Amino acid sequence: MSSVIHAVNLKIGYSPDSILGEIDNLEIEQGEIVSIVGESGIGKTTFLKSIARLVNPISGTLKVFDTEGVSARGVIGYIPQKLGLIKHETVYSNVLEGAICNESILRSISGFHEEKVIDKVKETIELMNLSDKIDEPVKRLSGGQQRRVAIARTIAQGPKLILADEFLSELDDKTVENVWKSMLEYVTSNNTTLVIVEHNIERARLAERCFKLEKNEESDYSILSEVKI
Amino acid sequence: MNIARRKYPIFLTFILFTTYLIFVDLVDGNWASLENSLENLSRFFRESLWPPNWKVIEARSYPSCERSWDFLCSPAYIGIMETLKIAFVSTGFGFIISLPLATLASRNLYSDSIAIPFRFLLAAMRTLPSIIWAIFFVILVGLGPVSGVLAMTFYTVGYLGKLQYETIEGLSNDPLDAAKAMGLKNSEMIQRVVIPETANNLISQLFFMFEYNVRHGSVIGIVGAGGIGYYISTYLKFLQYDKVIALLIILFFVVIAIDLISIKARSYFVDDATFKSPSLFGNIFRAKK
Repeated sequence: MSSVIHAVNLKIGYSPDSILGEIDNLEIEQGEIVSIVGESGIGKTTFLKSIARLVNPISGTLKVFDTEGVSARGVIGYIPQKLGLIKHETVYSNVLEGAICNESILRSISGFHEEKVIDKVKETIELMNLSDKIDEPVKRLSGGQQRRVAIARTIAQGPKLILADEFLSELDDKTVENVWKSMLEYVTSNNTTLVIVEHNIERARLAERCFKLEKNEESDYSILSEVKI
Repeated sequence: MNIARRKYPIFLTFILFTTYLIFVDLVDGNWASLENSLENLSRFFRESLWPPNWKVIEARSYPSCERSWDFLCSPAYIGIMETLKIAFVSTGFGFIISLPLATLASRNLYSDSIAIPFRFLLAAMRTLPSIIWAIFFVILVGLGPVSGVLAMTFYTVGYLGKLQYETIEGLSNDPLDAAKAMGLKNSEMIQRVVIPETANNLISQLFFMFEYNVRHGSVIGIVGAGGIGYYISTYLKFLQYDKVIALLIILFFVVIAIDLISIKARSYFVDDATFKSPSLFGNIFRAKK
């Protein structure tokens, strides 16, 4: 198995004056399902954003798909905590946004998408059991349905690494089961790496490996370590 | 909480007292000028303004009217139509120019080194009111509606650009983060995320700007930039105040009509819009819940 995320002596945060966390050594392989747990404000989201290069690491090495810069287009799918959907657009338009991530801007403006792109969007919407909501604006959907739209957008993108920030929060157990099942179907069949951030230990147990960000007495910031849960 | 509440009367008293002092300073001891003001207004209204002279809705004596309905050759119709055309074209041009500038001025899309110069540019464009731009363009391209269009386009770019970049900056970071993580460039994010996400507000602002430009279109005509303001200015020069009041009454009803249509149209585009849009008069007279 090849390494997807490789971090050594990594310090994360928004500025050198306010380091949030440190990762001594981390190796996540292709196809693994990993969860990161920790208290609120400990730096879990910042770590996820650092992997997606939305926040630059303060020091150390962070390689994603063997590169320290921005990863190749479309290989990372990021599901923010608040999902990042375009609320007044339809389910179809939101999922299409993921599917056309490799399309040129001219084709995208023209609105003439390839047949296979449109088929992929429809397939993904069907996979998430949202076919009956395809033309509904996202703002009219329930929390669980919106989460499924966010997953559909990411799946339609076809990423090799999915970073999901508390994407199972605020859902009832039944919906968690359905949403998780849909996600699992995709990652196992496509050998995709999934990194989820969770503050709920029960949900974090759904992953194969679990890491915890927590503060120790010697340091002002949190340290990432693998835990058995 | 109680301390904060007690501050309000003190603050209001301070504001009222300061306002009074500044007013006294502006009057500069010339209180006599205010003494007969009401009587003067009443006399001016009776002798010069009322009744309005409705000849403004009759055909002009020259050039001769070749249309079937005299009103279509009247100064009121020609002036209002020209004002509407100037407002429409300059709002359209202004929108097309301001949107790219507003995205460049948005600090959540571009770094300060790019955003700040564009903010200065937009601020500079709206620092001068449209009437000053009109004077400038009348000198540059001469009297007529073209200078009006140019003046109002410039002002629209400055004003609309500010509204637009504030809307863009008000966007939630999450959709932008998701798009950035996908690897989209700024130009792609603008096309695929920023414009769809802000479209309702941008269209609503466009309608607002059109309304605004119709109102100001009547002012810029006074300096020769076309529209109904040109006729108002001409009648003022010849002391035909009864014709001026007639044109102002017509303009008032046109502005009200545009306002009503605009409110109705905007109600379909604001975020909490329902498919059953509220009634026209309900929009104006009912308090927002």
